[in-house]
Amino acid sequence: MSEKQGREDAVIVEGLSKHFGKVKALDNLSIRVPAGEVYGLLGPNGSGKTTAIKIACGLLRQTSGRVELFGQSRPDKKVLAQVGYMPQETAVYMDNTVHENLALFGQLYGLDRERFARREAEVLRFVDLSGWRGALASNLSGGMRHRLSLACSLVHEPRLIFLDEPTVGVDPELRAAFWEYFREIANRGVTVVITTHYMDEASHCFRVGLLRQGRLVAEGAPEQLKRSTGAASLEDAFLAYARGDGQ
Amino acid sequence: MSPRRVLAFTKRTLLQFRHDRRTLAFVLAMPLLMVALFGYTFGGEVKGVKVQVLNADVGMFAPVNFTLPLNLEVNVGNGIVANLNYETLTISNVTDAAAARQDVDKGVVWAAIIIPEGFTRDIATALLNQSAPRPSIEVYIDGSNPNIAAAVFKSVNTALAAALQEAVSAIGGRNASLPASVEPVYAYGGGDTKFVDYFAPGVISFAIMMVTTMITIILFVNERKNGTLQRLMASPASEWEIVTGYALAFGLIGLVQSVVILTAAMLLFNIQIVGNVVLALAVIMLIAFGHQGLGILMSAGAKNELQAVQFVPLILFPSVLLAGLFWPVESIPAYLQPLAYLIPLRYGIDAERSIMLRGWGVGEVWLDLAVLVGFAALTLCASALLLKRRR
Repeated sequence: MSEKQGREDAVIVEGLSKHFGKVKALDNLSIRVPAGEVYGLLGPNGSGKTTAIKIACGLLRQTSGRVELFGQSRPDKKVLAQVGYMPQETAVYMDNTVHENLALFGQLYGLDRERFARREAEVLRFVDLSGWRGALASNLSGGMRHRLSLACSLVHEPRLIFLDEPTVGVDPELRAAFWEYFREIANRGVTVVITTHYMDEASHCFRVGLLRQGRLVAEGAPEQLKRSTGAASLEDAFLAYARGDGQ
Repeated sequence: MSPRRVLAFTKRTLLQFRHDRRTLAFVLAMPLLMVALFGYTFGGEVKGVKVQVLNADVGMFAPVNFTLPLNLEVNVGNGIVANLNYETLTISNVTDAAAARQDVDKGVVWAAIIIPEGFTRDIATALLNQSAPRPSIEVYIDGSNPNIAAAVFKSVNTALAAALQEAVSAIGGRNASLPASVEPVYAYGGGDTKFVDYFAPGVISFAIMMVTTMITIILFVNERKNGTLQRLMASPASEWEIVTGYALAFGLIGLVQSVVILTAAMLLFNIQIVGNVVLALAVIMLIAFGHQGLGILMSAGAKNELQAVQFVPLILFPSVLLAGLFWPVESIPAYLQPLAYLIPLRYGIDAERSIMLRGWGVGEVWLDLAVLVGFAALTLCASALLLKRRR
């Protein structure tokens, strides 16, 4: 534990609020994610998970509050070069091949030819698309495109990764492999922030934050949350917190 | 700005076109189709125009002169009918002027050519007496197609000049100035410039504009919808790099397009390019740059491809009607003219026409160039700022 306390915080969110007109998408959200942690943002649709991630990546501007990535308060290009982002949409170029998609992001993040070739082989093996390098994204199945999208956000070996619902449409076997991989890179010091609404999956996270209507209603290790509500599953624990009978 | 990232965008976009063969075909074939369509519709020789001819000229006997045969009859009207261009015109002879005019009104024929009874006699009078009224041939014409009207007038004028010359030399005279006219005479056409020469530079500019604007709008609507744009924005790439990368891609596509079109236009329609081809291509690239920026800006107003397509008439019609594609800006109603000067394509067409037909250089078309450069700079900067604002 002492080792963990010594690590810097990869993500600091303090008093973050975002209003879309009258709707409060985020309401005074505060989260700290130490480097090397797999942190899960849990909550139903519309609870503000995606908004929080978009603000952290600099895609949206907050109404108030503060976000720091590696100690930088505004996501500048230098910091962004160390961050990976996988949007909820299958954000790949349909009329380009798997390789061309990866090559674009490799070049945008400044990978040289040699490093890109190595990384491309690695991420393709990881997402199980090695045999599809020359295939057009439009010819891949939905799940395969989703895996390609994940590969695109990992190709530059980011130190911090924001993954918005990365396991949607991925079959159970591969999903298990994903989680194993996320924990593995976390052990190497990479910080992973994941949103999901699959409560059962969240047990793979080191810690989770439960979001409801833009507020953090509970935070802690999955086991700890279950224990404190006496719930059998994380889903029951979430429902307990949503009702307000958690501690 | 990192050239590497800019080129990464350019490369990806170009590769996309390589994979998407149909869009590639559209990009190259549409302008070609337009040039071919317009070329064959307007540019070819006008042939087989149906006209009715009423020759009421009774002619006259030549003045008694011992060098001429006795009772030499001169009839300029007959001479005109003989000298009409039978390839251009399909002629039927009639005797009823009112019926002939009615046939024109009903659209049965394009024109009624009516030569009055005393035509030869009146010419003779006018030749001797400068103050006598000048006789004229009535051409009652359906002017709805300026090309056909011009062809008819040209044929009648040529025939009149030839017939008159024949008549004058038959009675032993020398060259006579024309004392007769064709009424009404439209000041249109004539000369050796074919209509196709006039509009080809316009069609090329127009095609580049349409293709670039359309494809940019759709590409950027897709970037937004699919989430790829967000991914780009979360990367170290700047908005300027994204916009520049795309601009380069579309500039290159425009260049390939225009080379294909120019070659086709020269081979198919014998279009003469008097001026500097490189300058003509540079103007096309400027048109592509500017309209690419316009496309990005417009894409912000569209949520999907269907909405994007709705922009087509919005940019299509003002450009077709007001930018001087088929007729000069000066010939549209005065109250619409200021609007025409607001359409950037107008300057592109003007520049291309001046370069390709008049052989003008930078020194003459600098104003057009300046407007196009300004337009491109404005729309590209605005689109980069627009992307930034979304952040």
